[in-house]
Amino acid sequence: MVLNRRPGGEVSARPLHFIWIADCSGSMCVDGKIQALNQAIREAIPHMREVAKENPHVQVLVRAVKFSDVASWHIPDAVPVEQFGWKDLEASGATAMGEALELVAEKLKIPPMPERALPPVLVLVSDGQPTDDFDGGLRTLLNLPWGKKAVRIAIAIGEDADHEVLERFINNPETPVLQANNPEVLKKYIRWVSTTVLKTASSPPSQVGAGASSAAYVPIPQPVSEPEDAEDVW
Amino acid sequence: MASRLIGKTLLTKSGQQCTVERLLGSGGQGEVYQVRVENQLMALKWYFPQYIASDSELRKRLEDAIRKGAPTDRFLWPLELVEDPEKRSFGYLMPLRDPRFKSIAGMMRRYIEPSFRALCTAGFELAHNFLELHSKGLCYRDISHGNVFLDPDTGEICICDNDNVDVTGKSDGGVFGTPRFMAPEIVRGEAYPSTETDLFSLAVLLFYMFFLHHPLEGRKEAEIHCFDLPAMKKLYGLEPVFIFDPQDNSNRPVPGLHDNAIIYWEIYPEFLRELFTRAFTNGLRDPEGRVRESEWRKAFVKLRDSIIYCSKCGAENFYDAEKLREGCSHICWACNSEIPLPPRIRIGEAVVMLNHNTKLFPHHLGGELYNFDTPIAEVAQHPKKPDVWGLRNLSQDTWTVTRRDGTVLQVCPGKSLTIALGVEINFGRAKGEIRL
Repeated sequence: MVLNRRPGGEVSARPLHFIWIADCSGSMCVDGKIQALNQAIREAIPHMREVAKENPHVQVLVRAVKFSDVASWHIPDAVPVEQFGWKDLEASGATAMGEALELVAEKLKIPPMPERALPPVLVLVSDGQPTDDFDGGLRTLLNLPWGKKAVRIAIAIGEDADHEVLERFINNPETPVLQANNPEVLKKYIRWVSTTVLKTASSPPSQVGAGASSAAYVPIPQPVSEPEDAEDVW
Repeated sequence: MASRLIGKTLLTKSGQQCTVERLLGSGGQGEVYQVRVENQLMALKWYFPQYIASDSELRKRLEDAIRKGAPTDRFLWPLELVEDPEKRSFGYLMPLRDPRFKSIAGMMRRYIEPSFRALCTAGFELAHNFLELHSKGLCYRDISHGNVFLDPDTGEICICDNDNVDVTGKSDGGVFGTPRFMAPEIVRGEAYPSTETDLFSLAVLLFYMFFLHHPLEGRKEAEIHCFDLPAMKKLYGLEPVFIFDPQDNSNRPVPGLHDNAIIYWEIYPEFLRELFTRAFTNGLRDPEGRVRESEWRKAFVKLRDSIIYCSKCGAENFYDAEKLREGCSHICWACNSEIPLPPRIRIGEAVVMLNHNTKLFPHHLGGELYNFDTPIAEVAQHPKKPDVWGLRNLSQDTWTVTRRDGTVLQVCPGKSLTIALGVEINFGRAKGEIRL
């Protein structure tokens, strides 16, 4: 008997790299912020898997960078979301956000990034101000084709986060910084980026026509705006 | 706001109590819950207030759909509106989806593996049910592999998310479709959803199901680095080229990237390749040139009649009259053996392969179209001589049979006739001839 009832393999899928960029500076110890972040990401994983499962055109790969006195890969290898598990972050030290962006940029070069992929999703979560060369890191990232094309989301935890810095990371006036002042809101935003943003980046949903708003119907943040110019295809 | 509904009792428009039990899923427009109405389990779609605000025609569209009723029982159709006591939102009741229906996304990922026979049935069912919808002057607006489910054992389908259904060609409100499935003229912003644009989306869905690939994703897709919305607009709207366009080889599938397309293109008979070619050449450029539902329906019935089994490994393959005409043999896709053809019966235009499990239906004999519930003949093994195969008369009529030597036999209902070369069967309305 044949193994498969029909020939061929799965429908062709492109990789989508999803990278958490997490602030682990000392201030994240205060008020259980780091624990709330660990909890929110862990809780979002099954929902992320569900999104990936429903979309046959995407292979979601996840990893994470952490930054405090220095930046380092927390989960260095791109793990298929089906096998992805979260390791707890611990907080101490300063806010080497620029170095974190340099690390991410390293991975967005071609290679190791493939030439053909879906836009990567970069989620920066921070409660403070960078203490290193943020501009240098951002420049390196945005000078890369994949850095430019990436869907960049920023979540500010608490009142002390530097919105101006996060807005520059997003580099798109239509996408606001998501402000999370308590664990519930943080959880909601983390879930939103893990599902709705992931879904939008991997395959845009049903398109709503003229007369209807182009905003997402998820009753929280603004959707990721997509460039409309076909000349932008590269 | 989501889970606050669970445990609440809402009122349907006709005043029935509707108790919300659990969340089944959520999407861009709202959420779907399992509810209990008069002790019966049903599904409730409940809209986000933001969505209601953006789709001013929604309530009217739903009321129209409810009034018109489901085109067929394959649609999970809106049955009744359900109101929010706080007037912030509303929703509608529909039947629950039977768990035997699985997502087409699962089929793309190969979690769900229907046989070719089930797939032919699914293709037929899709075409047939969308024809019934379109015949009511309605269009679906958002045909994609997210909205259709299939029973992998039987090929029966189930069409969900019917709240976008509207009168064909209407310009206001509602969705315009899902990227990859939208007709090129919609992608370019030149047209509104209509029956014609549905026909394009249907052809894409059928291509996905039969080829596990998109009909426009060839070299042009391979050359795109970042596959985002502008890239999609270019590939599916501004510069669409069918990967097997006979006049334009600029977008052929690339080995290693688009293998499914290459593999399946070889497997199906020429008549199906021709139909898909028309769907994505003329049908790309001219909405009037698209393959109609009735053509797809006929093609998938014919495809199912063309199934043959490899005698070595049992895999389903397809008989191709063109191959026979060119003197080429049929080679099994699974084990590469040459497949000895089973006997076949020609009835008018149709050729049906007589496999161990073949059944003939009224439409084969010029009768009622596509009634698959009451076969009128089936291939049967001789009860005492297992090497002898016959065609059993399951109809109410007596067949008149002329053998090659000119002798004439009567085959009463319930009796079988041995399958032999040149036998002619007069079924009453139609005549068939057995060929080897």
